[in-house]
Amino acid sequence: MARKLIMMRNIIKRYYIGQPNELQILNGIDLDIHEGEFVAIVGASGSGKSTLMNMIGALDRPTEGTYFLNDTDVSRLNDKQLSAIRNKEIGFVFQTFNLIPRINALKNVELPLLYAGVKKKERQERAMELLKLVNMDDRYTHKPNELSGGQKQRVAIARAMANNPSIILADEPTGALDSKTGHLVMDIFHKLHDEEGKTIVLITHSPELAAETERIITISDGSIISDTGKTTKGTSESAVSETEVSTE
Amino acid sequence: MNLFENLKMSLSSILSNKLRSLLTMIGIIIGICAVITITTLGTTLRSTITTTLNSLGSNLIGVFVTTRSESYYDTIDTVYTADDLISYSTLEELTQEYPELRVAAENPIGNASLKNSLGKDLRINLVGAYNGTLDQNGVRILAGRMISMDDVSQKKHTCVVSNIFVRQYFKNDEDPIGQKIELIAEKNGLSYEFTIVGVSTYNSMINGALSSNEDDTVTPVYIPNSIAREINNEYGEQYEFGWVLSYDPKTDGKLAKQHIKDFFNEKYSTNKNFMTIVQSNQDTMKIIDVVINIITIFVAVIASISLIVGGVGVMNIMLVSVTERTREIGIRKALGAKKTTIRIQFVTEAMIMCLIGGLIGLALGLFNGFLAGVIANFVINQIPTAKQVLGTITMVPSIPAIIISIIFSMLTGVFFGYYPASKAAKMNPIDALRYD
Repeated sequence: MARKLIMMRNIIKRYYIGQPNELQILNGIDLDIHEGEFVAIVGASGSGKSTLMNMIGALDRPTEGTYFLNDTDVSRLNDKQLSAIRNKEIGFVFQTFNLIPRINALKNVELPLLYAGVKKKERQERAMELLKLVNMDDRYTHKPNELSGGQKQRVAIARAMANNPSIILADEPTGALDSKTGHLVMDIFHKLHDEEGKTIVLITHSPELAAETERIITISDGSIISDTGKTTKGTSESAVSETEVSTE
Repeated sequence: MNLFENLKMSLSSILSNKLRSLLTMIGIIIGICAVITITTLGTTLRSTITTTLNSLGSNLIGVFVTTRSESYYDTIDTVYTADDLISYSTLEELTQEYPELRVAAENPIGNASLKNSLGKDLRINLVGAYNGTLDQNGVRILAGRMISMDDVSQKKHTCVVSNIFVRQYFKNDEDPIGQKIELIAEKNGLSYEFTIVGVSTYNSMINGALSSNEDDTVTPVYIPNSIAREINNEYGEQYEFGWVLSYDPKTDGKLAKQHIKDFFNEKYSTNKNFMTIVQSNQDTMKIIDVVINIITIFVAVIASISLIVGGVGVMNIMLVSVTERTREIGIRKALGAKKTTIRIQFVTEAMIMCLIGGLIGLALGLFNGFLAGVIANFVINQIPTAKQVLGTITMVPSIPAIIISIIFSMLTGVFFGYYPASKAAKMNPIDALRYD
């Protein structure tokens, strides 16, 4: 069995604490994710999966419970330390890509490296390498508005990989893409998982996408209601296409 | 993240919205431009006045009799006697005690006429002089010597003429020293003969502009004041309320002033009603300097109020920018930017914006100063007397003002950028990422 990367124990998240409208979103989540796993977290809107994702991504701290990420107790870190964790341990991929519009693809990929204090030359080399990995190296000077949705998401994935994080955390990464482009993006995740051994956590409400992963964790009303240890993999035969059609 | 990366990032963000950045900067531009223009005019005014005053002789010290009473209306003329005033013999005593001191007063007694060596009519200006009179006229001896205190006390018929006079009088290259000139004073119509003992320079600022025909220029001829007083029909001891003195420029002016003070304090120590005031040209210049400085600083401070207005404009636009870029801030935080990093980014942006505004303002301010100089010189050139006195004005930008205003503009950016930057830094990344 591989090393435990994520170990959550009794994670509770409440909002509006002490107020009449106090709200408990997560009701004591226990979750272990091992190195090299490809996990899908599914659940309907309002089930608490986004809150769980924020927790995993160190964007938020739990109200109660402990969360060990790569042997660090994230639930006890201060704001500055959380920033460092996000920078080094987590690679975010968002539904709406979240590239910075003013700067080109290369600079976008360079950002996490910049915040990690990597020197300029090394930063550029690494960013180019990553863009090559997602077949976007020929468009490195393009700004986000000059790229199609699929291309943007590929740049975003390259950015997520910048500091070689422990986990790629993808929040509905195909949600804003058509199904064909979506598949191409999923193929990149499969490639990262199969070839680089990356741990990937995919948050989605789509059962089809979830079915492509090894393990599906279903959340409902702030609790894990099912957790399959699936080993079968989805369709990852088709490689990333060079002739991807723009979706915009 | 290093400073250079930060500067580059700020610059790219400022340039991504050029028009808005420029409009935001206008307050700063106007503020700095006004401050630089005003300080340039101030320093130029000061240097022009200093130059002009220096040309009148910077080694002059005045001594004046004044009442000991503090009441202004207790006027001197109702109570003074000749003993209360300063007599010429007192000055003789002073100059004997302190040889570096000279009597610099002058006593113009009107014109005199004479014929030059070729028999052509010449007019000159007769000036009763002492050994330091040239200091007050801002001229110096070219050859020979100045009239001495002995010449005055012994009423020797000596004179000092200007180099212009030498050209007017001696049409061939004779040595003027030792030559005798005969002139008729217009005051009393009598004829006098003087021996030239020295030749001085000519100061057009004091003695008047040169005529287009040099022969028509009326130049001063300095004669011992004892003789000038006779021509003026004045006899006996000379008493004055005040005298202009000067000191040898090779000696210490402060010491000379102290000597004069000590001498007269001693003289007036027994006088119940009167005392003396000693004031040097340097003192006057210092006062003028202080006054101009105060006025310049005062106006510059008023002008810099527009910097505050400009700063508020910058703050306003930074707040807008922070709101607009909420999502970007969220992304940066998700990618690992710390609070400090975000804060520094936005403060740097505001600071760079103000710095650019400040530099543009500086350039405009210097241009304004240059323009003012061109206009001033144009006007001066139209007025010959002004040109004689002022010459050509050179604009002098105030270096301290430039440095201070540039630093101040940057500080404005930091001050007014800090609040928006903190707002950005404090944003919750989850909310910021969800912001549309």
